[in-house]
Amino acid sequence: MSDKTASMLNKGGLKGKDDSATKSAKGRRVQFSREGPFESVMSDSPKSGGKGDFSKGGKGDKVSNGKKTSTSKESQPSEPKIGQELPENVKCLLDSEAADILQRIQDQMVMLSRDSSIKIPVSFDKGLQYAKSNSKYAKPEFVGQTLQHLAGYGVSDSEICVIGNACPETADEAYALVPSLKGKRSLNNEILQDALNELAKLRQPI
Amino acid sequence: MFFHIVLERNMQLHPRYFGRNLRDNLVSKLMKDVEGTCSGRHGFVVAVTGIENIGKGLIRDGTGFVTFPVKYQCVVFRPFKGEILEAVVTMVNKMGFFAEAGPVQIFVSNHLIPDDMEFQSGDIPNYTTSDGSVKIQKDSEVRLKIIGTRVDATEIFCIGTIKDDFLGVINDPTTV
Repeated sequence: MSDKTASMLNKGGLKGKDDSATKSAKGRRVQFSREGPFESVMSDSPKSGGKGDFSKGGKGDKVSNGKKTSTSKESQPSEPKIGQELPENVKCLLDSEAADILQRIQDQMVMLSRDSSIKIPVSFDKGLQYAKSNSKYAKPEFVGQTLQHLAGYGVSDSEICVIGNACPETADEAYALVPSLKGKRSLNNEILQDALNELAKLRQPI
Repeated sequence: MFFHIVLERNMQLHPRYFGRNLRDNLVSKLMKDVEGTCSGRHGFVVAVTGIENIGKGLIRDGTGFVTFPVKYQCVVFRPFKGEILEAVVTMVNKMGFFAEAGPVQIFVSNHLIPDDMEFQSGDIPNYTTSDGSVKIQKDSEVRLKIIGTRVDATEIFCIGTIKDDFLGVINDPTTV
């Protein structure tokens, strides 16, 4: 019995809580609707145009509120910045640089392979194969130098690396592939195009 | 993309490996342990390239095993959201296609394939434009953009898109 009553009480209590919550939510909504006109004036959003009806106004506000959060989300980079989740002490490698390193390791492995306990994992072969097939430059060390001066314009290491790997031909292409470049104020089409032209010269003829 | 990174790992070594070759044993065990593994933070460990330092060993109570903290450099491969990759198509079906970039699998859903490309079933399933000028089938090379990643204990799966400017087929096996 006592359990039941307790549970009922609980329920009641919960209900009461719920009610108060909804009430407070309503209260908040009303407050929002007060702010609404200002917002609608500022944002000129057609949906929050109040029709005099409070509840509708509230709803409209809710919508505009939702909009607001979505816009604020959009203002955060909707295209996530490449490499933002990178841990520290990391050096980005161009595919051609990686191919060099991995190839050297594989050459050593051939010598070590007499030791049967050392097996070359699948991911190594796949990685090497991928790096090789994607290495477009005969001399990757010059690529680094060519693109390094872009770093002076706020282009991050990982962005440089993506550009180096993708090897776009025009500045437009680079902007399309790496949208975060658009945010760099000091970087302009000419600088980027110059760097890309240099890059094209380094590219191995296919 | 590939990264060069310094990682740390505590290696447990059985006393039978102690002696003059302790360091060599430690390094070969490290390579066996970490190469080919995959972590969400760092991606695929493709190869160990060097040892930074090996700390002082600590004897474990009761077992005789000794734990050495080892700092090592390695090459890792990790895809990122927003990264541009050139991948090789491995399978095509009506849901989309799978492609492979190094050790990483990428799925491109048919929603993320340009609308003018239609699925064609048959011996060689493929996606083709209405005028037939562009075709995606097994072994095609495509340039795609990563829009999502999921990391497993041993694999990384990515979702990619080719529905954007400057993305799509770069190399058609039938024309080569």
